[in-house]
Amino acid sequence: MTRNVKISLAVVGAFALILAGLLFATRPDTPDTAPGGALAADTLAPAEAPRLNDNPGAPVTMVEFLDFECPSCAQIQPVMSQLVAQYGDRVEFVIRYFPLPNHSNAVPAAVAAEAAHRQDRFVPMYERVFQTQAEWAGSSDAAGIFRGYAEELGLDMAAYDAAVADPATLEAVNQAEEAGLAAGVQGTPTFFVNGEKLNPESVQDITDALDAAVNP
Amino acid sequence: MTAAAPTEEFARVPAEPAPAVPGPLPRLLPWLLIVGGGLGLLAAFTLTVERIVLLQDPTYQPSCSINLVLSCGSVMTTEQAEFFGFPNPLLGIGAYAVVVTTGVALLAGARFPTWYWIGLTAGSAAGVVFVHYLIVQSLYRIGALCPYCMVVWAVTIPIFWYSALAALDRSGGARALYAGLRQYHAVPVVLWFVAVIGLCLHRFWDYWSTLL
Repeated sequence: MTRNVKISLAVVGAFALILAGLLFATRPDTPDTAPGGALAADTLAPAEAPRLNDNPGAPVTMVEFLDFECPSCAQIQPVMSQLVAQYGDRVEFVIRYFPLPNHSNAVPAAVAAEAAHRQDRFVPMYERVFQTQAEWAGSSDAAGIFRGYAEELGLDMAAYDAAVADPATLEAVNQAEEAGLAAGVQGTPTFFVNGEKLNPESVQDITDALDAAVNP
Repeated sequence: MTAAAPTEEFARVPAEPAPAVPGPLPRLLPWLLIVGGGLGLLAAFTLTVERIVLLQDPTYQPSCSINLVLSCGSVMTTEQAEFFGFPNPLLGIGAYAVVVTTGVALLAGARFPTWYWIGLTAGSAAGVVFVHYLIVQSLYRIGALCPYCMVVWAVTIPIFWYSALAALDRSGGARALYAGLRQYHAVPVVLWFVAVIGLCLHRFWDYWSTLL
């Protein structure tokens, strides 16, 4: 065996070892595998977090951590609307912000949605922002675009502007992100059903989890 | 066998001609170009066909859209997927055909002059630069991995590296550098792959760790 091959194999071996070590080390920490890993409802779904439906007494709570600039989150948005229609009478759908650092307009989008939420108009803003993602995703004036949406949706613009300027709005976004990090969220979208993290690979996986939760 | 001067025998051994295929892997290089170029060509062709089907039917789920992370539907419809104003894979269909043809020509015994190898290296260097721009976009802007695109990433790197080594060998320049690279030619490629795979794993760690 030449040294070329030996060194190459050593690099591959070291990489595989580090990888295995990281997988082993991070695994027990993830809340979804910890025994009794269900997270407290008030950290994941506090009363002040926006909802997709009005069903506070629902036996099942589904939480979605999302980033408004994440393409997969935009793809899943119509599915979420469908799930609300299908399960809304038994499930409360809670949205938490999880703006990813590499999406420069994700925070302004979350702030706009939170400002709309303060007027109880979260859902129309959430739908609008996702449906128009391609128009503002790379924009340098996303906040201005979102303000335009707020105007078109008939929001109280004085209250909207005040909310966007209020540091507490940004703080609410940051708190949601911190709650997500504490719950082991590392990407978006991430779903929790009754505090248990889902790892869906298809819409079917989500509906299966909801079916299991509503019919225990 | 006579005892006739062995020195004369040695003297008569003709100077070994430069091998038809330069670089550290003269036997494997044609196959690397054929197989690597062939995979790149196939991936580019499939992406083009999927793009056309997606244009005809916007609700079409491309065959490589497996889930939220592994998805080419979401990658294909981004502006980065049409960097020059037309779908990127059209470039691949042209470029990888040249790579395959070069490999086949080498197998057939063709000998290319230095300028050809420099040209192949320049072309594949442009491919490598473009591919790394797309890797960054895919990981950090689009946030999804497109399996066919990853095939293209994987083949472009070794095609570039071994074309560059062949060009360096044939041109006769930087002998000391070439001697070192020739001896450890696979190590940079392995490090390169480990770096790209590491970034993909790091970026989507949550998703990968759920697969266990």
